[in-house]
Amino acid sequence: MSRIGVFICHCGENISRTVDVERVAKAAEKISGVAYACEYKYMCSDPGQNLLKKAVIDQNLDGIVVAACSPRMHEKTFRKAAQSAGLNPYLVEMANIREHCSWVHEDREEATTKATEIVTMLVERVKMNKKLQPITVPVTKRALVIGGGIAGIQAALDIADCGHHVVLVEREPSIGGHMAQLSETFPTLDCSQCIMTPKMVDVANHPNITLHTYSEIENVDGYIGNFQVTIKKKARSVDMDKCTGCGVCMAKCPQKKIPNSFDKDLGMRPAIYVPFPQAVPNTPVIDRENCTYFKSGKCGVCQKVCGPGAVDYTQEDQLVVEDIGAIVVATGFELYSIGEKPKGSAIKGYGEFGHGKIPDVIDGMTFERLASASGPTGGKILRPSDGKEPQQVVFLQCVGSRAREKGISYCSKICCMYTAKHTMLYHHKVHDGQAYVFFMDARTPGKGYDEFWRRSIEDENAVYIRGAVSRLYQKGDKIVVMGSDIALGIQVEIEADMVVLATAVQPRQGADLLAQKLGISYDMYNFYSEAHAKLRPVECATAGVYLAGACQGPKDIPDSVSQASAAAAKVMTLFAKDELEREPIVAKVNDKNCVACFYCKKVCPYGAVEEKEIRDRQGNLIKVVAWVNPGVCGGCGTCQASCPSKSVELDGYTDEQIMAQIEAL
Amino acid sequence: MKNILEYSYYPGCSLHASAKEYDESTQGLFKALRIGLKEVPDWLCCGATPAHNVDELLSLSLCAKNLELAKPVEGDLAVACAACFSRLKTAQHKLAGNEEKRRQVEYALDAPLALDKPVKHLLEILAKDFGLERLAEAMKKPLDGLKVACYYGCLLTRPADVPELDCAEAPTIMERVIGATGAEAVSWSHRLECCGANFTLSRPGVVIQLSNEILASARRAGADCIMVACPLCHGNLDIRQKEIEEASGEKYNMPVFYMTQLLALSAGVSPTRLGFDSMMVSPMPLLREKQLI
Repeated sequence: MSRIGVFICHCGENISRTVDVERVAKAAEKISGVAYACEYKYMCSDPGQNLLKKAVIDQNLDGIVVAACSPRMHEKTFRKAAQSAGLNPYLVEMANIREHCSWVHEDREEATTKATEIVTMLVERVKMNKKLQPITVPVTKRALVIGGGIAGIQAALDIADCGHHVVLVEREPSIGGHMAQLSETFPTLDCSQCIMTPKMVDVANHPNITLHTYSEIENVDGYIGNFQVTIKKKARSVDMDKCTGCGVCMAKCPQKKIPNSFDKDLGMRPAIYVPFPQAVPNTPVIDRENCTYFKSGKCGVCQKVCGPGAVDYTQEDQLVVEDIGAIVVATGFELYSIGEKPKGSAIKGYGEFGHGKIPDVIDGMTFERLASASGPTGGKILRPSDGKEPQQVVFLQCVGSRAREKGISYCSKICCMYTAKHTMLYHHKVHDGQAYVFFMDARTPGKGYDEFWRRSIEDENAVYIRGAVSRLYQKGDKIVVMGSDIALGIQVEIEADMVVLATAVQPRQGADLLAQKLGISYDMYNFYSEAHAKLRPVECATAGVYLAGACQGPKDIPDSVSQASAAAAKVMTLFAKDELEREPIVAKVNDKNCVACFYCKKVCPYGAVEEKEIRDRQGNLIKVVAWVNPGVCGGCGTCQASCPSKSVELDGYTDEQIMAQIEAL
Repeated sequence: MKNILEYSYYPGCSLHASAKEYDESTQGLFKALRIGLKEVPDWLCCGATPAHNVDELLSLSLCAKNLELAKPVEGDLAVACAACFSRLKTAQHKLAGNEEKRRQVEYALDAPLALDKPVKHLLEILAKDFGLERLAEAMKKPLDGLKVACYYGCLLTRPADVPELDCAEAPTIMERVIGATGAEAVSWSHRLECCGANFTLSRPGVVIQLSNEILASARRAGADCIMVACPLCHGNLDIRQKEIEEASGEKYNMPVFYMTQLLALSAGVSPTRLGFDSMMVSPMPLLREKQLI
């Protein structure tokens, strides 16, 4: 006969408001096998946990049901408490009478009955719970960081400084990301290059960091502590060991008219190039799509002029496999483009702004390049169409953001601040120019942020107009901005020389494909999902994968850096032990019954099912069966549900236990 | 000869009155293209702007009644007037997912609703059903050298999810259709601005200001003429053009054609049957200059 203890929590009033907890406790006492039942206001608090520990010892309990919140919330808490009182933690189960009962019902009578039934079901389950021991797996103490923007760089440096090896993978020829493109940064107006480029150099020089630029993630196998990651190093056509970065090849390349995407296509670059002079590594790549040699077989100038003989046209893409223990994803963002979107896309583009065909309507990043001292205009604000200095500039906020009809309902978070910064930079460089800003709300939560925004209005002369813009059109060499001023209730028309759009922050194109390789989840916009919005903000639900920066949601530099350091701390916590303990709630295959249909292998979302050969003592193959790798199994139970011969069972969720729960109803 | 396509036809009030030339040129063009048009017998006014401003049920019921009347006539319902098109599409859109409104309209009409007949603007019939390639082949007299400002106005493409004719904010269907004649569609800024619509009766000053900007924009773009698909826009840009010139001190002399007038001319329909004489700004000097008549 079992001796099960039932502990019912009021959760303040969250449960007791709708559930008569005393009645549930009385009813629980009468369930066969229950030796003890009680209720308490906050079971998760210190006195509440002590109540449980004391009862385990005094009542000699061999199983526990805590009727409280969701197991996602406090299952670990109570299992730990029970363990400290000497009970195997896997004999503790949660009966969720909050999310599944008190929060969703109003009728006290019915809710109380339901809570009692939930408790009864869990008691029946606990009776059949087995004592489980945690699974231990070894940890490879090498981290992979995907993305070499500020978030990836910060995470890589933190982990490397702690003494662990880091592999940093960047898609572009240089690390630096968006931050390397910015001119000044809010709210201090310090130069982005001046704070970014030293960090880039630190990465290049760090003995614990292996840098793969111009590379992409090809494949990810394995599980927490034991990933095998295949990295595709795209052919650079330049030998990194031989190249001295002298730059003669770039100077002599006859093909110089390729729009430089780092300068938002405002400047030109040769076919053999580094994206910007401060690039890390300072080794050029050949853009094979635009290179005359690769297109027609003629030219070859760069190879001829290269002193150390580093240019190598025969280089091929290379696959490198790295053993990795933890992965930090920091793939960043891109900006919404107002151009026409493919039919059926949830994102719509802006026909009313001419679908991006008016040359002096630019986005915020293009303005950054115009304002940047190392940009295509040397820091002069000159409009793209005719190189004239614009005397009236109109800034539009929330283009794409907070616009459900355009396919995005979220706030991009950084635009209010960078637009305020843009008006300041513009005023600093064009003293008699006038900046107008159309805005919905000024969202400036952050240290020194609101003061910064006020400064743009009070000291830097920006005119803020609360309202939206319905249309932009070209009239001669002006752009007519038709908008509304909702404070005055009038329509406004401004003839501007240049219009700057604060377009929405979106995840990188292909973010969903990378997520599928990593087995992590993402939201409807392709932003990566954290395990818990408040309490686990830098971890993925997939063990061993962490998030940093704007790939998880729009973020400014301070937030990206903080999250990157937090992700690095999580990786270091993981690396602090040689072996890793994992939840033993994993599937096990009964070799005798398995018919080797491998349905389980097809449905397993974790790729945990393998084929196992069973041989006799002479080594003759008897049969092949399914085998679940406990290090990889996520304990979801999909295999159990799909197995036609009922040969797979999840510890703690056996068919027998589930049937017992149903019968208890 | 047998017709290639058959449609039921809802001309609307304007096409039997102030926009007779739109009706004439539509009939002429469609005959030349061998597209059959059968007018819906005993059709009613669509309610236009006044009905839906005063009483939504009235406006929905008028359109639902017209759709009911059109049901027995063969073919999808062809509509020329941008406002009638908008009202009929709006009624279909609003009644599609609203049980309560459907019940009210059924009660008002005392008949089951018959909303299923596809409502198509002439542009859609020409560009999609008939097809631009076939249209280009049917154009016997190219309008080479004629620069046309295609004017959509408010209702042809908006609101975004109702007419489903083309992209609401950056449409190209008029440009594509007139392109079949060899005429050049100019790129201009005021294709989708409001002309002032029926403020023409209550506050003509508003119309004069707004329509002036449209004419000025068309001239800036180098257009010889404006092409419309809406009788009210036509009224404001053509009939009021003299007043606009007086008020603004500008001299536009900008003929405003219905799209079917230009297409029919190109398809070889006799210019005497296209109602050019009922336009306030005579197109004759322009057409002679371009050797199109």
